[in-house]
Amino acid sequence: MAQQTAEWTGFNITEQELRRMRWQTRRENLGRSWYKFSRNPLSVVGGATVLIIILAAIFAPYITPYPDHATRPFTDFANASQPPSLEHWFGTDEIGRDIFSRTVFGFRFSLTMGVVVLSMVVPVGVILGLIAGYFQGSRIDTIIMRITDIFLAVPPLILALAIASVLEPNLFNSMVAVSLMWWPWYTRLVYGQATALRNEFFVSSAEVTGASTAHILFREILPNTLSPIFTKISLDMGWVIIIGASLSFVGLGVQPPKPGLGTMVASGAKYLPDQWWISLFPALAIVVLVLGFNLLGDGLRDLFAAEEI
Amino acid sequence: MRTLTFIARRAFHAIFVLLGLSIVIFIIARIMPGDPARVAVGARAPEWVVEQLREQMHLNDPLPIQYYYWLTDALHGDFGISLVTRRNVADDIREFFPASLELAFTSLLITAVLGIGLGTLSARHKDKFIDNVVRVISYMGVVTPSFVFAILFLLLFGYVLDLFPTIGRLSEGVPRPPTVTGFMTIDSLLAGNFTALFDALHHLILPAMALAMGTMAQEARITRASMSENLTKDYIAAIRAFGVPERTVMGRFLLKPSLIATISIMGLDFAGGLANAFLVELIFVWPGLSRYGMNAILRKDLNAISAVILVLGVVFIVVNIIVDLVVARLDPRIGLRAARSD
Amino acid sequence: MTFLSKHRVFLVLSILSVFLLAACAAPAAPAAPAEAPAAQPTEAPAEAPAPAAGPTTLRVTFAWPTFIDPAVGNDFSSSSSLINLYDTLVFPSPDGGIVPWLAESWDVSDDGLSYTFHLKQGVKFHDGSELTASDVVYSFNRLKGIGEGFAYMLADAESAEAVDDYTVTITLGKPSGLFLPSLLRLFIVNEDLVRANTAAEGPYGENGDYGKEWLLTHDAGSGPYKVKEFQLEEYLLMEKNEDWWGEFAPNAPDEIRFIGTTEAATIRTLMANRELEISDQWQTVQALEALDEIEGVDIAALPTMTEFYFMINTKIPPTDDVHCRRAMAWAFDYDTAVGLEWPGTRQSQGPVPASLGGHNPDVFVFHRDLEKAKEELAQCKYADEIENYPVEIHWVSEVPDEEKFALLFQSNMAEIGIPVKVVSIPWLSMVENTSSMETSPHIATIYVSSDLPEAGTMLFQRYHSSTANQWLQNEWLLDEEFDARIEDALATVDQEERFAKYYELQDYIAELAPSLFIYDQAEKHAYQSYVDWPALRGEMSAVMGYYFFGPQIQVNPH
Repeated sequence: MAQQTAEWTGFNITEQELRRMRWQTRRENLGRSWYKFSRNPLSVVGGATVLIIILAAIFAPYITPYPDHATRPFTDFANASQPPSLEHWFGTDEIGRDIFSRTVFGFRFSLTMGVVVLSMVVPVGVILGLIAGYFQGSRIDTIIMRITDIFLAVPPLILALAIASVLEPNLFNSMVAVSLMWWPWYTRLVYGQATALRNEFFVSSAEVTGASTAHILFREILPNTLSPIFTKISLDMGWVIIIGASLSFVGLGVQPPKPGLGTMVASGAKYLPDQWWISLFPALAIVVLVLGFNLLGDGLRDLFAAEEI
Repeated sequence: MRTLTFIARRAFHAIFVLLGLSIVIFIIARIMPGDPARVAVGARAPEWVVEQLREQMHLNDPLPIQYYYWLTDALHGDFGISLVTRRNVADDIREFFPASLELAFTSLLITAVLGIGLGTLSARHKDKFIDNVVRVISYMGVVTPSFVFAILFLLLFGYVLDLFPTIGRLSEGVPRPPTVTGFMTIDSLLAGNFTALFDALHHLILPAMALAMGTMAQEARITRASMSENLTKDYIAAIRAFGVPERTVMGRFLLKPSLIATISIMGLDFAGGLANAFLVELIFVWPGLSRYGMNAILRKDLNAISAVILVLGVVFIVVNIIVDLVVARLDPRIGLRAARSD
Repeated sequence: MTFLSKHRVFLVLSILSVFLLAACAAPAAPAAPAEAPAAQPTEAPAEAPAPAAGPTTLRVTFAWPTFIDPAVGNDFSSSSSLINLYDTLVFPSPDGGIVPWLAESWDVSDDGLSYTFHLKQGVKFHDGSELTASDVVYSFNRLKGIGEGFAYMLADAESAEAVDDYTVTITLGKPSGLFLPSLLRLFIVNEDLVRANTAAEGPYGENGDYGKEWLLTHDAGSGPYKVKEFQLEEYLLMEKNEDWWGEFAPNAPDEIRFIGTTEAATIRTLMANRELEISDQWQTVQALEALDEIEGVDIAALPTMTEFYFMINTKIPPTDDVHCRRAMAWAFDYDTAVGLEWPGTRQSQGPVPASLGGHNPDVFVFHRDLEKAKEELAQCKYADEIENYPVEIHWVSEVPDEEKFALLFQSNMAEIGIPVKVVSIPWLSMVENTSSMETSPHIATIYVSSDLPEAGTMLFQRYHSSTANQWLQNEWLLDEEFDARIEDALATVDQEERFAKYYELQDYIAELAPSLFIYDQAEKHAYQSYVDWPALRGEMSAVMGYYFFGPQIQVNPH
C-alpha cells in the first residue's frame, strides 16, 4: 500500500522513510494534542478523576478500611445507620456496613458495566456502520439502517428496562440489556462518517488499486472515524454507568448484598431524609464518576473538534 | 408543498419502523418468565379462571398467531387489558398520557427559556467568571439524575419552605374541570375555571423543574458550544465590521443559527423526558404514562408494556419530524431532503 | 496549574458542597422543634392551622393499585376500600368473632350444610333502591362466577337462593366451621345497577363482562361511604353516605381519601404539613422514627393476622432432616431479629399469629441456645459433611427489610458451622420457584396473612398439601396425617371442639420444625393525634382492612 501511494504521488520515497515520516507526524500530533488537552484544566481534572477512581477500584481491597463489608456477608446491627465519623467516613448503612468501603467497591461494578457494555457495543456498532455506510444505497445498507432505526425509535432506558425485566436480574443481564440498546448509536455515528468518506479521494484511489473491501473498511475508512468514536466512548461511559445505576435502582441490576452504586442509592432512598448519608454518598460517587468521564469526553471532543455526537 | 412531501415520506418510513418496533417489543413481552394470566388474577384464583384469561388473551396460540391478533387489535386502538389497572390499556394511555405530556411540555418550556438563556449568557462571557459558573452548573445538572432533584425540591420547597403543593395535579377541594384535552391547565382554561388553572400550574412547577434541570443544563452546554464556535466565524466579523448593533449581531446572526443543535437535542430530550420521568412522577404522585410504564414493566403487564413503548416510539418519530422541520426553517442551507435522521 | 484552573476546581468543590448542604439542611431544619411524643396524645397542638371550613377528611396513603370491584380486589388497599363502600352479611368483632350485620340472624341446618339468613329490612343502596335477597344471590354468583379476588374463600359454598325478599339460603358442599367468617368477604352489590352497567361483550357468557369495567371506578354498594372521585394511580375519594342504616361516630370524616403513594419523602412532607392523617404501613423503622419527631404525629403498631416465616424446604438435603431444621431453630437470634422491627413487635409463638382465635398459648417456642443447636446438629445425618450442603436463603427483593433477617440468619448459622448463601429474588420469581419442589429454595422468607381470624385457616394455608405448590408453602410438608386432621378440624362446627383440635395441630407442627417462626407482624402507621382511632385501643378487628372502617374513626377539629 505504501509502495503504491509512493508511486502514485510521483515522489521517490522508500517505504521505510515514509513510515518514519508518518511516525513523526503522529508524534507531533500527539504532542500538540496533549498540549491542547492540558490547556483545558477541566479536561485534566476529568482525566485525573477517572484515573484515580479506576486505581481506587482496582486496589479497593487494600485501600478501604473495611473490605469485608463489601465482599463478604456481614452484619453489625449494633453499629447500623451511624452518621459519618472518623471511623466511618461516609457513615454506616442500615445493616452496619461501612459505606465508604462499599462505595469504593461499588466503582468496580460501575466501571465493569461501562467497560463491558462498550466493548460489546462498539465493535458491533462500528462494523455495521462501516458496512452500511460504504455500501450506501445497497440492500445491506437498507437492512442494517432500518434495524438501527427501529432501536433508535425509543428512548434507550425504557427498552433496556423491558429487556432487563425479562431476564434474571443480575449485573451480567443488565449489561446485555443495555448493550442491545446501545449499538445503534455507534452504527449511526460511523454510518454518517463512512458515507462522507467513501467518496473521498484516498478511498477511490484504494478502490482503483484493487484493495480488498476489508482493507478499505478497516485501514482506509476506520482510522478516519476514530476520533469521534473515542470521544463518544468517553462520553458514553458516563451514560452507561447512569443507566446501569438506574437499572440497579429499580432492582434489575447488581443484586444486594453486592455493593452496586445504584443498588445502594435505592436501598438508602427509603431512609431519606434522616439517614441521608446512606444514599447520598453512593449517589455522589456516581455523579463524580460520570462527571469525570464527561469532562474527559468534552476535552477529547474539543481536541478532535468533532461536530457529531 | 415540499414540506408536505417530506412529511408524507417520513410518515411512510415511520410505518416500517413502528412495525419493526412492534415485533421487537412483542417478542420481549412474550418471552417474559411467568404466566401473565396467573400473575393477573393472583396465586389464589382457581385454575379455570387463569385458563379463561389465557384464552381471552390468546396466550395458548403459537407466537406468530398471537402477534397477528395483537397487531390487528392494536391497529383498531385495542391494546388488550392491563393487568395492573384491569381495564383497557388504550383507556389507561388516554388517561395517563396527557398528564405526562403536560409535564413534559412545561419542562420543555423551562428548558428552552433557561437553557438557551444560560447558554447565551455563557457564550457572551466566554471563559469569564460567569461562563465558568454556568458550565459547572451545567455539568452538575447533566450528571445528576432527575429524581435527585425531585427529592431535593420536594424537601426544600414542599417541606421546609412549604411554598408548593407536593402531590398530584390539583389540590383537594378544587373542582376538577371536565376532561377535554386531558391537560389540566387547558381544561381549566376551557372551563373558565381560573382557580383550577392556577392550582394546576402551581402543582406543575416542582415536578417540571425537577425534570428540566438535566435537559436545561444540556441545552445550555450545547447553545454555548455552537455559539462560541460561530462567534469565531468570518461572517460575524464581517457583520460587525458593517457596524450592525451588537444586540442584532447576537440575536439574529448568532443565536438563530446556533440554535440548530440545541433544538435537535431538545427534541430528543422532550421525548426522552416522557419515558424517563417515572421516578419524578412517582415522587410527586403524578399519574403519568412513564410511571404507568414502569409499573407495567415491574409487574410484567405485557399489554401495557407493548403499548407504552409503541406510544413512545410514535412520539419519538413525530418529534424528530418536527425537529427536522424547525431546523430546516432555521437554516435554509439544510434541505429537508438531506435530513434523514429518525 | 494556572490560576484559572484552580478557580474552576474551587467552583466544582463549592457546588458540590452546596448540594451536600442542601441535602443535609433540608431534613435538619424542621426537626429542630422536637417534642417528646406523648404516649396517649389526645390534644391537638395549639398552633395548628385552623382547618378550612368545609368537610373533614381522613387521608390515608396506600400502595397502588386499588381495586374497588368486590370480585376483583383482595389486597390491603382494596379491602380497606371495599369495607367502606359495601355492606356484608356479618361484621368482625375486635375479639376475633363475628356479629350480625346485614343478616340480623341465621339458622344452620342439622347437617351443617345449609345456612339461612334473615336480612335487615329497609337497607338502601347508594342509588336509593332497596337491598333485597336477590342482590345477595347475585353478589354470590358474581363473585363465584368471576373467580378472582376473594372468591377462593367461599370455595366450600356451592349455591345461594332467595327464599323471599329478606331471606337467603346458602348451601355448602361440606360442613365448615369457617363459613360464617368467610362471609366477611362477600360484599353485596346492587344487582340492577351492575346489570345496567354491564358490557354485553365479555367472558362470562350471558352475564357479559359482569360489570367489571364499570365497577373498577364506580361503586354499587350500600356501605357507609360512596365513591366521589376515582383517579387511577392517584387517589380514591369517598364521601359519607348520609342515608346509611348504621351509626356514624360524631366526628366521623365527611370524606375519605386514599392516596396512592408510599414514598418516604412524600409521606414526610404531607404529614408535616398536616395534609395526611394516617400513613401507609410500608414505612421503614427509620422513617417512622423521623415521622414520630413531627409535632402532633404519633406511631401506632397494630396487631395483624400476619406472621413472618422462614419457610424451610423439608424435602431437599440437608433440611430434609428434622435435626438439621431444629438446629437452625435453636441457633437463630430471635431477639435481635425482633429488635430490628418497631418496638412492640413480638416473637411469634408457634405457627400462627397470637391474634388469631384458637392460637395455642402453650405451644413449644424455640429460643436461641447454641448448645442445643449443636446437639441437634450432631444428630443430623449430614452433620459430618455439613459444609458440603450450603443452605440457600431467598428473600424477596421488593421487601428490602427482609435482607437484614437473611443476613442475620447467615451469621447465626456460621456460628454452628452451617454454610448459608443469601439470595435476593423478585417476588414473581419467588412465586414461580415455590411452585415446584425442585426449584423451591432451602429457605424462603415470606410474610403470610391469615385469610380469617382463626388459627385453622392459617394452619391450612401454610401446611396442607393443597397449598404445597403455592408461595404460601415452601415447606412441601405433604403430610397425610396433618392433612386429614386439619380438614377434620375445619369441618368441626362447634367452636370449642374446633379450637382444641387447632391446639394439637400447632404442637404437631412445632415438633416438625418445618419453619422458623420469626415474629407476628405489627401494622405500623404514623397518625395525627387529632385522629381518634379506635384501633389504637384494640376496639377494631384485625381482619384485613377493618382498621380503616370510616364510621368508627373520628377526625377531631384541630
